[in-house]
Amino acid sequence: MSILDKMQRIDRRYIYLAAWIFVLFPLYYPLGLPVPIGRESKAWYNYIEAIPDDSVIIVSMDYGVSGMPELYPMTVATMHHLWDNCLERNWKIIVLAFWNQGPLVFDTLLSQIDPAAKYNVVYGEDWVELGWVPGSETGMAALATDMWGQTPRDYLEDRPLSEYPIMADIRTAEDVDLVISIETGTPGLPEWLRQWNDPFGVPFIVGCIGVSVPGMAPYLASGQLSALLPGLTASGEYELLLSRPGLAVAGLDAVSMSHLLVVLLVLIGNVAYFASRGKEAS
Amino acid sequence: MEIPILITAFCTLLQVIPYYLNIPVIDSASATMREWMLLVVNMAVFVGVISLGQVHGKRIQRRGENWPFSVVLMVFMVLMAIVGFPLESLGLGFKNAQYLFMFNNILNPLGGTMYSILAFFITSAAYRAFRARNWEAAFVLVSGTIVVMSNAPLFTSSLPFLITWKDWIFDVPNTATGRGVMIGAALGAIALAVRVLMGIERGYLRGGGEE
Amino acid sequence: MTTMWELIGVWTAVFFTLAIYSFLYGENPWFRLAEHIFAGVSVGYAVAFNLDYLRDQWVNKWSLSGTLMLLYIIAILFGILWYARFTKQYFFAYRWTLAIIVGTGIGMALRTVIFTQFLNQIMAQARLSLWVPGDLLQSFSNTMIAIMVPCVLLYFWFTGPARDKAPMSYIEKFARYTMMAGFGAAFGYTVLTRYSLFIGRAQFLLGITPNPPEARMAFYVIAATILITLFAKDHLFKKT
Repeated sequence: MSILDKMQRIDRRYIYLAAWIFVLFPLYYPLGLPVPIGRESKAWYNYIEAIPDDSVIIVSMDYGVSGMPELYPMTVATMHHLWDNCLERNWKIIVLAFWNQGPLVFDTLLSQIDPAAKYNVVYGEDWVELGWVPGSETGMAALATDMWGQTPRDYLEDRPLSEYPIMADIRTAEDVDLVISIETGTPGLPEWLRQWNDPFGVPFIVGCIGVSVPGMAPYLASGQLSALLPGLTASGEYELLLSRPGLAVAGLDAVSMSHLLVVLLVLIGNVAYFASRGKEAS
Repeated sequence: MEIPILITAFCTLLQVIPYYLNIPVIDSASATMREWMLLVVNMAVFVGVISLGQVHGKRIQRRGENWPFSVVLMVFMVLMAIVGFPLESLGLGFKNAQYLFMFNNILNPLGGTMYSILAFFITSAAYRAFRARNWEAAFVLVSGTIVVMSNAPLFTSSLPFLITWKDWIFDVPNTATGRGVMIGAALGAIALAVRVLMGIERGYLRGGGEE
Repeated sequence: MTTMWELIGVWTAVFFTLAIYSFLYGENPWFRLAEHIFAGVSVGYAVAFNLDYLRDQWVNKWSLSGTLMLLYIIAILFGILWYARFTKQYFFAYRWTLAIIVGTGIGMALRTVIFTQFLNQIMAQARLSLWVPGDLLQSFSNTMIAIMVPCVLLYFWFTGPARDKAPMSYIEKFARYTMMAGFGAAFGYTVLTRYSLFIGRAQFLLGITPNPPEARMAFYVIAATILITLFAKDHLFKKT
């Protein structure tokens, strides 16, 4: 068997081992590669910066544990950005979830960041967490017309919404100025657009896993989606724009090395393929 | 077969009509229906438990292949359901320490890892199958490699033009493909909805269960 | 200070992470165990949230008037019909509940899908400026989109022998190239997602902040244990 044939029949476990090495090495020994800022993360940052004062913002945790490694860093960065400006800009932030694991994922965030201590925001006045809303698209439609009916009590303290000043003037989708959905799939943007954007004109920005990014392109081009934060690389760029490097930045060297591995393997695979084809032809 | 079709048609029209005609009574009925339906949906809570119980219960009963794992599955399913049962007076519910322990230390690592394992398979596939065998494959290969490289700061910091190339692929062929597929799919969805409304499409009523 | 429970939690999480990754070596009991526990816990997880919702809705909303109470009870009765799917005799009743869900779902989507996924996209297509003064690249890109979208649509419309003759044969070829270039983007972003997930888990295994630092030791010990058992199973027991 020639070396070309051997190369094409290599045991897949060697490739898996290479993947481990290419990911673990830069995590052990960070390379500190420079990170150019892409247009998506810049647009996301600028969009949040430009949210008008006194806006009511929904942050929807539309993902579960399966999307957590990729989406959690952008959730932390976005919440930091929102809470940090919350008092000065008088934003009202409502956190909810259409994925039933969303509230517990947000619990993880709250176990690492105490918004009251770090940003001086008051629960129930500046922000509130409503928890899980069931029913996917129908749940979104129901929430749009009657937020108090769908989530009569909050998630964190389990008290009626009437006890929270933040909710006094927020009853329907008409009272909401922006939805930030961080999502992995269905229910996600298409459902949101059908139930909140088209009937009520609520603008959307979406942070999503890389797999969902190509599907977002038509919505971005048509203006139905105002900004998109696509995957971990863009999350890292966003963390740098916030001058607050976190988990995403810590993972970017590993992203670089793993992607280098994929490119090398594609290259080697094709060289071996064409070389062996040339040999067969001759 | 006729009763479910009538119910489907009624429920569909109850949501569609008030969107286009301003009739307060129907509008209110439509909103109530949406909220009421969520109760019905939530009542399906044990369908998954029973389905899984049936499959694995049979395996345990027959001592089928890997039946001890089925026992483990049943134990964890029941344990998670009981611990999370919303009876706070008994120390249960989704805010109790045991439920959170199981979420943070079992469900969370398992869920995250289960999908991450595909990284290895896609790498192996990239090596073995991602070949420029013809022009179509060459197009996927070139645009795919550019996008892979553009997502890695290692490449974009030394070859900044990759970002422009990736943006073009995203904005032009990717948007065009997505838009074409989306318009086609929307037409398909509307056609399917009309077929269901008219009672022509009945496949969904089989519901995957026994008949 | 890490409590004993937190430590047990970290070791448990590391074990389950590595048990799933052990599948990379080959099918094995560690993976089977983790896979079955995942299925069980996932299904059990939802029970808490669904029941909590039903209770909250009753207490805070549906018990407030006689009519609402009646509606709630009817919803529960229809909900019970979900379970008729497990019987042959009453399977027909399960269809009633299914029809409510499907009908309402279709109605919800149908009323706006024509705007969000059809008309808005067509309007965006119609708004494309084929000539953008001072920006040749943008003009070229817009012209390409203007040609590519109808080609992709026609590709799906005309199937069978209609594609063999001109002009459809050219349109088909152009649409295929367009879609292949688009699918390249999908491949690139899929690689990013899958590796992001892996990197997230690797950060956990190495105890990189804010993950618990105790995970790193657990990673070494459990990885070594699992690897030894897998090698032993392959090399010792097979030979005897």
